Amino acid sequence: MGSVLTRNVLIKWAPLIVLIVLVLFFAAMEPRFFSLRNFARIGISSAPALMVAIGVTFIIIMGSIDLSMEGTVSVCAVVFAFAFIAMGGTLASFAWLALPLALLVGAVVGLVNGMVHVWLKIPSFMASLAMGFVGTGFALLLTGGDRVRVQDELFRSLLTERWFGFPIMCYVALLFLLIGWFIQTRTTLGRNFYAVGGGEELAHASGLNVNRVRILGFMLAGVFYAVGALLAVGRIGIAETATGSNFMFVSITSVVVGGTALWGGIGGVWNTLIGVLIVNVINNGMVVIGLPGYVQDGVLGLLVILAVVLSTDRKSVTFVK
Amino acid sequence: MTSKTMTAVNFARIKPHLPWITLLALVLIVGIADTNFLRPVNLVSMAADIVPLFIMALGMTFAIYIGGIDLSAQSIANMTTVIATLALPSYGIGAALICILAGLAMGAVSGYVTTKLLVPSFISTLAVGGVAFSAAQYMSGQRALFMDATMRDSTFGWMTGVTAGIPHEIFIGGALVLGTWFLQSRTTFGRALKAVGAGEPAAVASGLNVTRIKIMAFALSAGLAAIAGLLFSVKLSGGSPTLANGFLLPAIVAVLVGGTPLTGGVGGVINTLIGTLIVAVIRSSMLYFEVDATKQQMVFGLILIAAIALTIDRTKLRVVK
Repeated sequence: MGSVLTRNVLIKWAPLIVLIVLVLFFAAMEPRFFSLRNFARIGISSAPALMVAIGVTFIIIMGSIDLSMEGTVSVCAVVFAFAFIAMGGTLASFAWLALPLALLVGAVVGLVNGMVHVWLKIPSFMASLAMGFVGTGFALLLTGGDRVRVQDELFRSLLTERWFGFPIMCYVALLFLLIGWFIQTRTTLGRNFYAVGGGEELAHASGLNVNRVRILGFMLAGVFYAVGALLAVGRIGIAETATGSNFMFVSITSVVVGGTALWGGIGGVWNTLIGVLIVNVINNGMVVIGLPGYVQDGVLGLLVILAVVLSTDRKSVTFVK
Repeated sequence: MTSKTMTAVNFARIKPHLPWITLLALVLIVGIADTNFLRPVNLVSMAADIVPLFIMALGMTFAIYIGGIDLSAQSIANMTTVIATLALPSYGIGAALICILAGLAMGAVSGYVTTKLLVPSFISTLAVGGVAFSAAQYMSGQRALFMDATMRDSTFGWMTGVTAGIPHEIFIGGALVLGTWFLQSRTTFGRALKAVGAGEPAAVASGLNVTRIKIMAFALSAGLAAIAGLLFSVKLSGGSPTLANGFLLPAIVAVLVGGTPLTGGVGGVINTLIGTLIVAVIRSSMLYFEVDATKQQMVFGLILIAAIALTIDRTKLRVVK
């Protein structure tokens, strides 16, 4: 009993402790790390990743996985940019309608994703991976490989306008984090994610429409990917097929490192915030102390393996595919 | 027997033959539309072009055959293009050996992480792929590298030469498919592989060393991906961390279209041969019908979904996560 308690307590607090240790470590290595300017930099790189990671958090809580984010983010970014420019190119005009449009596109892509997974009974990792390829392909089709520039100053103020040292996009991300938290704790849908992840057959037996919950989960994830896409476009002012690249690896790593178990049922959006910060502090810190940027993928790879290993209760898992 | 079960029975009987029927139908359709297509010269060059992809798909077959997946294949191939280019001046033909060993080792790590650390293969291979990508960037100094032409021709010229009008790539592909076919159907390892793919708990219960078999399957997958990277590198006379990008999707498609389901246990390397040819024919038909190259990825993504949905064995999936 005692060992179970320590294990659970450890798992619950380990991510936060890791984050604090990392911050202290990098600050000790290089004092410039511990500055408002640098924290703002971490915030800027974390904001889009956080949105995508929160989206996939809901899916992972259900015990499924979504690998479609790269395609979905690209499609949302490109559709947004085209619509935004076509409708006037500034937030002060009707072009603001491109914002809800992007969210709608995200929801539709997620809906299709969920339907492919649930109706065709294809395991989610493969259904979503394939849909991700389709999404990237679709974004490529729309742009023809070109970059679409979004230069509206009002929209770019997501990055340029700062409150207390942090750009607006960080506050937008925070707002959506709270929305995610609200969905997770205060809505039936949010509770149902945990029910499905905790034991699908039990959830089904107690009268829950599991398929509906799954499809809604993928839709919700799609909306968060769209928010991530908007912030990503706001950050660099460009929408292209490659807008979504790298989000898959980073977001999955963040969620798992944050302590949401791949097996479903535990964790949540706050874990994901910690996870995203851990990943981005590592990325930023490595550059600040002078390590080359390309070690990131390798470090993330080791990190995700370590996190899955630590969060797996070896007694309850017999074999994995 | 109702008509519905009749159709189900008939479909089950036709299912194993679907891949080659599809291939034949596609060849006929494209052959009628484009008379140039069926000219031997065209067929031979089409086959030679697809060989690197085919070799990667051969490897992927083993990972999927045991019910897993190898998402690291593309990164491994990328890494070996760099290793091959760097090792050629000092080690000559030994460079090939280094590439293959590097691939086998990375695959064994994926296998170990999957079986011993209980990390699902789509995550473990994604993570190992990240490590391979970092390694490739580190070794290449993030540049595209080029092979010395004379050195390449004297060491690896035999790979890309032509004998009696037949490019040597076809011989290499042929030798590998024969070798892997022998391994799969004439050795105890192959039998064990089938047992694991058909039902892992039963394989464990009957005393097979499932862990070792699965590690070997992942090692084979990455080892063949490394050979694919080596051949590709020789063909293009150079290496870079992104040279083989775009291989992953068609490689998975080739395996699944060939009739090896995501749930494993049936199919095999001959199926992958047929699947790769289907991919090749679709590709060249898209060229002929002037389908924009930017649409290819979308088309293959959709084909992937269709192929999974048709081949997957749903009786093996109690719950589709």
